[in-house]
Amino acid sequence: MDSLSSAAASSQAVQRQVRVQLTSKQEDIALPENTGPILVPTGLRRYALSTLVNNLLGSDKPIPFEFLINGTFLRTSIDEYLTANGISAETTLEVEYVRALIPPLHIASFEHDDWVSSTDILSATSPAASWASSAVSQGQERILSGSYDGLLRVWDMSSQILAVSPAPAEGGHSASIKAAKFVTPNQIASAGLDRTVRLWKYVENDDGFSGKISPQLELFGHKSGINSLAVHAPLNRVLSASNDHTVGFWSTKKSDAPAAPEEALPSKASKSSKRRKLNPSVSTPQRGPLALFSGHTAPVSAAIFDAKDSTVGYSTSWDHTLRTWDLVTSALVDTRTTSHSLLSLEHLPEVHLLATGTSARHITLIDPRVSAATVAAMTLRGHTNAVVTLSRDPHSTYGLISGSHDGTCRIWDIRSTKTDKDGVVGESVYTISRKSLEEEGKADSKRVGGEGVKVFGVSWDKTVGIVSAGEDKRLQINRGEGVLPSKI
Amino acid sequence: NIDPESLLPKLPSPEELKPFPTTCATVFRGHKGRVRSLSVDPSGVWLATGGDDGTVRVWELLTGRQLWSVKVSDEEAVNVVRWRPGKEAVVLAAASGDDIFLAVPPIVDPETEKASLELLDAGWGYAAPNPALSAADANKTTTPPQWIRPSSTLTEAGVCAVIPLKYVVKSISWHRRGDYFVTVCPGSSTPASVAISIHTVSKHLTQFPFRRRIKGGGPPQTAHFHPSKPILFVANQRTIRAYDLSRQLLVKILQPGARWISSFDIHPTSSTASGGDNVIIGSYDRRLLWHDVDLSARPYKTLRYHKKAIRAVKFHPGGRYPLFADASDDGSLQIFHGSVTGDMLSNASIVPLKVLKGHKITGELGVLDLDWHPREAWCVSAGADGTCRLWM
Ligand SMILES: [Mg+2]
Repeated sequence: MDSLSSAAASSQAVQRQVRVQLTSKQEDIALPENTGPILVPTGLRRYALSTLVNNLLGSDKPIPFEFLINGTFLRTSIDEYLTANGISAETTLEVEYVRALIPPLHIASFEHDDWVSSTDILSATSPAASWASSAVSQGQERILSGSYDGLLRVWDMSSQILAVSPAPAEGGHSASIKAAKFVTPNQIASAGLDRTVRLWKYVENDDGFSGKISPQLELFGHKSGINSLAVHAPLNRVLSASNDHTVGFWSTKKSDAPAAPEEALPSKASKSSKRRKLNPSVSTPQRGPLALFSGHTAPVSAAIFDAKDSTVGYSTSWDHTLRTWDLVTSALVDTRTTSHSLLSLEHLPEVHLLATGTSARHITLIDPRVSAATVAAMTLRGHTNAVVTLSRDPHSTYGLISGSHDGTCRIWDIRSTKTDKDGVVGESVYTISRKSLEEEGKADSKRVGGEGVKVFGVSWDKTVGIVSAGEDKRLQINRGEGVLPSKI
Repeated sequence: NIDPESLLPKLPSPEELKPFPTTCATVFRGHKGRVRSLSVDPSGVWLATGGDDGTVRVWELLTGRQLWSVKVSDEEAVNVVRWRPGKEAVVLAAASGDDIFLAVPPIVDPETEKASLELLDAGWGYAAPNPALSAADANKTTTPPQWIRPSSTLTEAGVCAVIPLKYVVKSISWHRRGDYFVTVCPGSSTPASVAISIHTVSKHLTQFPFRRRIKGGGPPQTAHFHPSKPILFVANQRTIRAYDLSRQLLVKILQPGARWISSFDIHPTSSTASGGDNVIIGSYDRRLLWHDVDLSARPYKTLRYHKKAIRAVKFHPGGRYPLFADASDDGSLQIFHGSVTGDMLSNASIVPLKVLKGHKITGELGVLDLDWHPREAWCVSAGADGTCRLWM
């Protein structure tokens, strides 16, 4: 296009105008009430609209905004949007604006001796603190890690280890840990390849620089390794997902847990316990499951509580299904069959969706309420390897983060979508790579099979930020500091 | 004037034949030197490997984490590893040099471990020890070997029994019920009468079912049991013969036309076809051949896609996905769709789907073995470059 016709085209676009009604659900960035519809050129894109809103707000420091029209982010010019959706420029467009997410910056990395499989956060805003009577004060946040070396570690925010769980001989895990969660500020649950779910008492010394993780309860029943855990402190309940095809349902209280099944206990005479020198000097109470839910026909990858109704649980499996369980009657309520092995699970309760990560490198969003055949409400694409961990965005009911064997975490906003031949498809808003790669000067190189950088666990907390655990033997903390919207 | 092309049935496009493996999802690194063999366990959670460093290893399939390793030989390579089928016991068979090792890796729950150990222990003392051999008898190579207990170091690591054959074992294949397996010693100096052995786990019994060399094509290379009938398929360099073991009868001869067969696999029973009706064969002279056993002794299709020797061929097990794959010294694996129908008159439809590249050619060798996941459309490969790879 020569400069003359290009100028003509742009002047034409400038001349075309549309009436927009700008709204925000957040009080601190809302426009004065009397701001009516504004006539704007249809050639405007996100950046120009963001400047416009900042001018209207009279902000000292411009805030980057994103714009939603009919629940979808504006990714083109308004003109292209109108054309693509067959909307007349005569109509008044309802345009909602929200703070744009700022790229999460690397804050710190905590180094381990071995692969880090799982992580959880204890802060004033974390579930474990909200369930407990004691609040976690500012600066007293803690990060929990579970490692392939079989140990749990509690860290403070300045990368000091406050406590390490005991070795196998002192009542610790006898194999790699795959899942670790704070139940309360003083209780931890963990599970892994030794097939046990373990509960630990966590106490800190008054100096705040050291603490102790002591065994409380050993839960036996699974016949194969455990991949993940979910905890619910008010109910004193834990859900576990095992390679033995079952979902375990456990009590965190010794008093109401059934006896441990004899055949699941490591026999002192058994070859493998001799081999692994399992003669713990500590004797920890051993218990069994309240129930083992069977139905899945392959390893169970994840089991979670419904975020609003704790009588409901969900699980995902390599058998391609997502199942709903009634935790009161232990009944299988619903089975949704997808096309791939499902490796991770998270609930987005406000939008009535379950997000599940697949071996086929994407995330599928499923509405568990629809009683008809499987309806994948949406697919989130971008990862280049299995999606093995998910965590809700603590700031937004539409957001979540995923961790993958491709060595990245990706942040998604389910309003950031497009429609293609596969239906509604979402693209990630931000990608967090491993700092370890960057330090090796290989930030841009792609590792085949995610070798050395696979992400195994991710946790997202409002106060602390995003903590991810990986094959690079690190916990990595990222935070989009100070600019995340306070609420939506 | 009709375009002859228009009369041919149209092959479906790969896009319509999903799922099949396309991407390297995990790299397994740890072996020193070539990885010769690998096998995914019946639960689909673990991968066993064996290689030139004399070690047998078990890994977590999804993450590539090594869980167990045992050095079974200081000098000899581990040439083959194969899990016993079935889930009531977990047993891994591995061959290094002249020895076959049966192990229970420490990855199972106490109950399954007990069942596995009992399975392997039941045969001790079953076969009466050989009577004192006369000098003449001792020279007879056809005396079946006694199963022996491993060294204390190996016992400690999880190895439960050793079968000392006198010649190098390169092929192990289990019967579907898991009570016996067939092994082949393909070396040209191996006497014909002891080259093929059938081992019965419950009795610790090793038998040599063949007295004489199979005709027309050099020493035997590899053998597999029919998926449902009491038939053993044996490949020598140029032919595959099917024997009815109970009646001691030769029932079928396949002549693929290859100069040197490296491996073959028998089609499993699927929803559309009964197992054993189709066979795929790979050869060192770069050919991949599909045989419809009932149709002809000659191949139904000959595929020449690889630039170097084909070392392994395998159907997806269980008949869930109509997939098969081969592995080559050119460093690649090739994935095919191959669906068979129950109809005697209609032939298999074969569509090349994907070439998987990633293994580095090392010392002129590329991909030495492959296996499929028991449920998923995922496969694994063992490389001369010292790595194994999971493809999803
Ligand atoms: Mg046929």
